[in-house]
This record gives sequence, C-alpha cells and structure tokens, in this order.
Amino acid sequence: MNFELSDEQKLLQDSVARFVQDNYDLEKRTKLVATKQGFSDDHWKTMAELGWLSLPFAEAQGGFGGNQIDTMVVMEQLGKGLVLEPFFASVVLGAAVLKRAADDAQLSTLAPGVIDGSSQLTLAYAEEQARFDLHDVVTTARRDGDGFVLNGQKSMVANAATATHLIVSARTSGGQIDEQGISLFLVEAGADGLSVDSFPTVDGLRASEVRLENVRVGADALIGELDRGFPVLNAAANDAILALAAEAVGCMEVLYKDTVAYTQEREQFDHPLSDFQVLQHRMVEMFMEYEQCRSLLYRATLEAAQGDTAEAQRAVHALKHMVGKTGIFIGENAVQLHGGMGMTEELRIGHYFKRLLVIDAQFGNADYHLQKFAA
Amino acid sequence: MDIELSAEDLAFRDEVRGFFRDNAYKPGADYNQWRLDWFAKAREKGGWDVPKWPTEFGGPGWTPTQHYIWEQETAVANLPWDLPFGIGMLAPVLMAYGNAEQQERFLPDIRARKVNWCQGYSEPGAGSDLASLKTKAVLSDDGSHYTVNGTKIWTTMAHIADWIFCLTRTDDSGKKQEGITFLLFPMKQEGIEVKPIITLGGAHSVNTVFITDVKVPVENRIGEEGKGWTYAKGLLQHERTGLAGISRSIIALEKLKEQARTVKRGNATLLDDPGFRAKVAELEVDLMAAEYTELRSLASASAGAAPGPESSILKLKGTEIQQRIQKLTVEAGGIYSAAWGGKPVGPSFARGGMAGYLASRAYTIYGGASEVQKDVIAKNVLGIKSSK
Ligand SMILES: Cc1cc2nc3c(=O)[nH]c(=O)nc-3n(C[C@H](O)[C@H](O)[C@H](O)COP(=O)(O)OP(=O)(O)OC[C@H]3O[C@@H](n4cnc5c(N)ncnc54)[C@H](O)[C@@H]3O)c2cc1C
Repeated sequence: MNFELSDEQKLLQDSVARFVQDNYDLEKRTKLVATKQGFSDDHWKTMAELGWLSLPFAEAQGGFGGNQIDTMVVMEQLGKGLVLEPFFASVVLGAAVLKRAADDAQLSTLAPGVIDGSSQLTLAYAEEQARFDLHDVVTTARRDGDGFVLNGQKSMVANAATATHLIVSARTSGGQIDEQGISLFLVEAGADGLSVDSFPTVDGLRASEVRLENVRVGADALIGELDRGFPVLNAAANDAILALAAEAVGCMEVLYKDTVAYTQEREQFDHPLSDFQVLQHRMVEMFMEYEQCRSLLYRATLEAAQGDTAEAQRAVHALKHMVGKTGIFIGENAVQLHGGMGMTEELRIGHYFKRLLVIDAQFGNADYHLQKFAA
Repeated sequence: MDIELSAEDLAFRDEVRGFFRDNAYKPGADYNQWRLDWFAKAREKGGWDVPKWPTEFGGPGWTPTQHYIWEQETAVANLPWDLPFGIGMLAPVLMAYGNAEQQERFLPDIRARKVNWCQGYSEPGAGSDLASLKTKAVLSDDGSHYTVNGTKIWTTMAHIADWIFCLTRTDDSGKKQEGITFLLFPMKQEGIEVKPIITLGGAHSVNTVFITDVKVPVENRIGEEGKGWTYAKGLLQHERTGLAGISRSIIALEKLKEQARTVKRGNATLLDDPGFRAKVAELEVDLMAAEYTELRSLASASAGAAPGPESSILKLKGTEIQQRIQKLTVEAGGIYSAAWGGKPVGPSFARGGMAGYLASRAYTIYGGASEVQKDVIAKNVLGIKSSK
C-alpha cells in the first residue's frame, strides 16, 4: 500500500505548482479571462515546452507515457490556479479518444501537433436533448462515396473556438438513444459547413455551440470502428471525470484553507470569527468532505488506471457524485463564512466556487451519477 | 382556527386582480411614467401604494388575510420595480422616531417613489457586529450641523440613491451600542464618493461609499443623539420580516416545475426523474409549512401582539428555501446553466439561472447573517444565556 507519488510525479507536480505560482494570481487570471480568446498563447507554449501536453501519449509518439494518475497530478495543480489554457480539452478529452481508438496513421499525424501545442483537440459530444447521456445522439454521419457527411448540432463544446481538430460523436446507425451505432469523427477547424459559435462560461472558460451542415470528411476521419464509438466515448468521459475531480479537489483545498485563514483574520464582536464554535464546526465539515473527496479520487483513479473495468466505472460514478455535492457544499460555505466579502469578484474564493459549479454540471451532475451508481 | 376566505376576502382578491390587470404595463409605454402613475392609482385605491403603513400615515389598514392575499397576488403580477429602503425601512423609523417636520418633509416623496434611499449601516469593520461602526459625526460648536467622515460598504443602490440614512458614531466613550446617531443626508454632494462592487452574479447593486467632511444639518438627525442604535434595531426588524418571500417562492417553485417539464428525459421529463422530483417535493413540503408559519406570524402581529416565536424563523427558513429553488433551477439547466453572457444556448430558462443562484447566496448574509440570526434566536426566543 502506497499513496506516495513517484519521484517523477513529484517533479511534475512541482513544475505545475511553480507555473501556477508564477502566472496565476487572481489579477493576472482576470486579465486573461477578459481577452477574446480567454487564455494565453505564451502559457500554452510554456506548457508544451515543459512537456505537459505530451503527458498521455505513448513514448513511441514522443509522449510521456502517462496514465490517469499523472493526469490527476497535473489537474489538481491546475485546479489550484484555476488555469484557463485548454489542457483539459486537448490533452485530457481529445487525447483520451485518440489513445484508445486512433490508428497509427492518425496518431502519427495528430500527436506531434498536440504535443508541441500547435494543434488543439476538443471533443464535441453533448447535444441539447441528451442532457447528460452520451449515447443520446441525433447528429448524423451519412456515408458518401468513400467518406461521410455530418449534420447536426453539438453543445457546450469546450474551447472549440481555438481547437484545430474537433472529435465529433455522430450517429451512423441505430435509434437516437442506442449505444450501438455511434461513431467518432475527426473534423478540422474551418471545414466547409462547420460553424463554431463561442461564448464564455460562468467560470471564465470558453465553450461553443457547434453546427455541422453537410460537413464532408474522408474515410480517414473515422476514429476507431464504425458504429462502435460509444465505449470509447464513455471511457474518455471517465478519464474526463477523473481529471475534473482532481481539478475540483484542488479548488476545494484552496476554498477551505482560504476560509480558515480568513476567519482567523476577520474580527467581529471583539473576536476573530474563528473563535465562534459554529464556524469552527462548519470548517471542520468542509475539511472532512474535502478529505473524503480526495480519498475517492485516489480510489477511482487507481482503479481506472488498471483498465476500463466495471469496478472502475462504479468508482467513477461515486466520485463524480461526491465531487459535485461536496464542491458546492464547500463553495457555498466558503462564501457564507466570508460574509459580504465572499460575494465579491475581488476575492478569489468566488471564482473557485464558480468553477466547482460548472464541474458539477460537466459530464453529469451529482444526481445523475448517484442514479448510475445505484442502478 | 379558521382559514376559509370570507366572501369579502374573495371580493378583495378579485379587486386586487382587477387592479393589476387594468393597470398592467403596456409594451412600448414610457416605463417611468407608468411606474409613477401606477403608484398614484394604487394610492387612490386607499393606500394600496403603502400596504404596510399604518392608517394614520395613509396605509390601507388591511386585515392579515388581506395582506396575505396581496402578497400572493403581487408574487404573480408584474408590478413596477420598487426599492425597500424608503418605503419599508426608513418610513417606519420616521413614523416612530422622527418629528412632525421630518415626517412631512420626507414621507410624501418616499410614498410617491420620487426619492430613492439607501441604507448606510455596514462598514468594512462592522458587519454582523454592526454596533462597532466607526463613521464619525462631530457636532459643530454652534450645534447647527454634524461633520461626517467614514466608509460605508455593501450599500445597495447607493449609485442611484438620492439620499442615505446613515448610522454614525458621535460618542465612543461608553458601550458601543451607545453613541450611535441616525442621520439623513443627500448622496449627490461633494464629499461623497460611490465605488461599485461587482458581485458573483456579475451584477452591480452594492457599493462602497466614502464620506469625507460631509456637513449634515442637525434637522436631519432622527431622534436624539446617541440613540440611533435603538431606532435602527426596530428597523432591522422590518427589514427581516420582509425577506422571507414565501409567496414568491411558492410561485417560483411552480415555475421551476414547469421548466423541468420542458426538459425531456427519454419518454418522460426531468420532473419525473426520481432525484430531481424528490428535491422538488421536499421544497414543496417546506413551503407548505412556511406558508402557515407566515400566516401565524401575520395573525399575531395584526392582533397587536408582539411577534410570536414563529416569526423569528421566517427569514432563516424563507431565504434557505429561496436558495434551494435557485439551486434546482441551475440543476435543471444542466450544463447550459454554465453559459454566461453572449448568446442564449440550451433551454431558455437556463439563461440567468446561474446568475440568480449566485446572487441568492447573499440572502443568508444580508439582513442578518444566518449564523448570527440563530444566536439571536437562541438568546431571545429560547432564552439561553451565554456564560461567556
Ligand atoms: C448583496 C448584499 C447587499 C447588502 N446591502 C446592504 C445595504 O444596503 N446596507 C447595509 O448597511 N448593508 C448591506 N449589506 C451588508 C450586510 O448587512 C452584511 O454583509 C452582513 O451584516 C454581514 O456582515 P459581513 O459581511 O461583514 O460579514 P461578517 O460579519 O464578517 O460575517 C462573516 C461570517 O461570520 C459569521 N459570524 C459573524 N459573527 C458571528 C458570531 N458571533 N457567531 C457565529 N458566526 C458569526 C457570519 O454569520 C458570516 O457567516 C449587504 C450585503 C450583501 C451581501
């Protein structure tokens, strides 16, 4: 039994932590959020130079050969800084699909660009009618000569505005909610018939509505087997959930620690707020729930790193449920215990809270995963 | 015990509905003109513009049932916007502690909605512990005016307010509740600087107000010097009873159900989803009780009795319920609740859901933070004496 990080992972952790320390105080972040693109090209280059963008790719492709545990190490630190660069979209979501389903030719075309940062991936999986169900897909891909023609609409696609390649789930056979009959396609930015309508999300990140109108792709755009995209999509979603949970745990740590610090500084009734027992107990609860999340994060991540098993799947559902619920509990109480100050954009806690709210909604909220877990 | 609406009550309800219908805003009309006209017409009805004011100041003298009916109807009708500060907070203080000259000077414009007021209580160092406030007011040697210096924070609508009612310190030699003086002064004058504070929902409603060498004539002091705390405490009572919003929550929950019904889940809707449905049901149960808590409180208040212990829980319960409804609205929107600004995406109700939820977090902070409210109930209602 050992929950220690390896030396290599510790180096990675330190390097991300240092990057966050140097580049992500609230003021710098707020400036980046206000830009059109919503993140920094320079930071993105730095991430490439430091090798983070190669993390999940095999060494044969010039990657680091990392697994979910390595991603966890990075995402937790990125969470502590509320980092804006599209690491999650490209290196978690996109790479999770490529790793599992892309053939050698596709990998050797795509991986180098992702690793050096010149390409950015994202995954267009959500549709409005689907709510959180990955298998509810009405976007279609129709055979056309030796290629396909895609039609439909994808919602809330992470960082689609800057992505060079979108991986799109589309129906190639079956009914609207059949798991069978979903296929994954690579669509290049700027393709004829592709429109990307971008907007900020409440956490300062960027998402897009993506419309596909007779978008033509070649046979080589199909990732994995025809009609069998769902298991890949589902496994990528599990990777995504693990990564988001790690990010969330990073956010929660900042929130509970900031609250403990603030209540010791702020005085009312001639006492530091931290003297009041009701607040002490509340902070202890925040801390307890945070530690529980970390435990479940380790459990789910370690199980998933063994393979896409049913056990890992259950742990992922459990984790996403707990992270959603706890994130909001900790966020709400951090705000409450800061009083009026907690309501302002001037303190960082509100920004972490907003990120946790969005994380709950991404890839299924707390209720959704509890039901999946219980099923 | 009896809660059947009498024939007169039903007639009153119809009259209220008719009034709202006849005076509804017509698209394209000048909003401000409509607003002022609306209140003028409500006044002609016999004090409907100031339902909570006592009859000697022009209030309608309604029974508790009529107040309840009004609450219910206003929760669904589209009324002109109104701020609570003048009508609901300052006016009762003026009536109870202001002199005749002050009442004549200020009440008519408050009533006509011609002057907007803001509440200058909280300070950076004085939030829950309001009595520790430090904004200094020094009386001139000739006794004609005070010179005020200090900083107020979280002042809602200070940026549009014409006047402020402000707690100031005139004496710091004794207990901190003593030596507080209640002053009124205009906001649009030299020496007052208003700096916006943007809150989590992205809105600008609160401000920091810097007050530098502002001269306030003694005629603008309410009651006696040093007695401001007593006056303000009465006022806080008025603020809190207005914050429960039970009728509005009942309507909001119905709206939420309608919205959830538009979110398809397979052959059913989100409202059929067991997790979501259970949360809606729990809210409904709580609201059923809270509605009666409010009625009990209304009934005892109108019988002239001191508010019963049940009144003390209304703000806590009411605000917590409002927050839960907001939270469920965000959940109903799913991932679309995350969209911010820009174009509408996903179900139409998802837009604004997140902003509403974030803003609702303040409900358990202002008007007495919940933790402190519970302290007050423990002491005043349960009679628990702290040995500290
Ligand atoms: C949106 C908004 C609008 C507002 N509008 C106005 C306005 O128009 N005019 C105005 O004057 N003020 C206004 N306020 C201020 C409001 O009244 C204060 O925020 C409130 O009194 C709490 O004070 P604080 O923010 O300083 O928090 P603090 O007093 O610092 O409290 C922080 C936390 O500590 C807890 N706490 C404090 N003391 C104790 C204790 N003894 N035991 C246990 N827990 C304790 C509180 O419950 C809270 O959770 C507004 C605030 C907000 C957020």
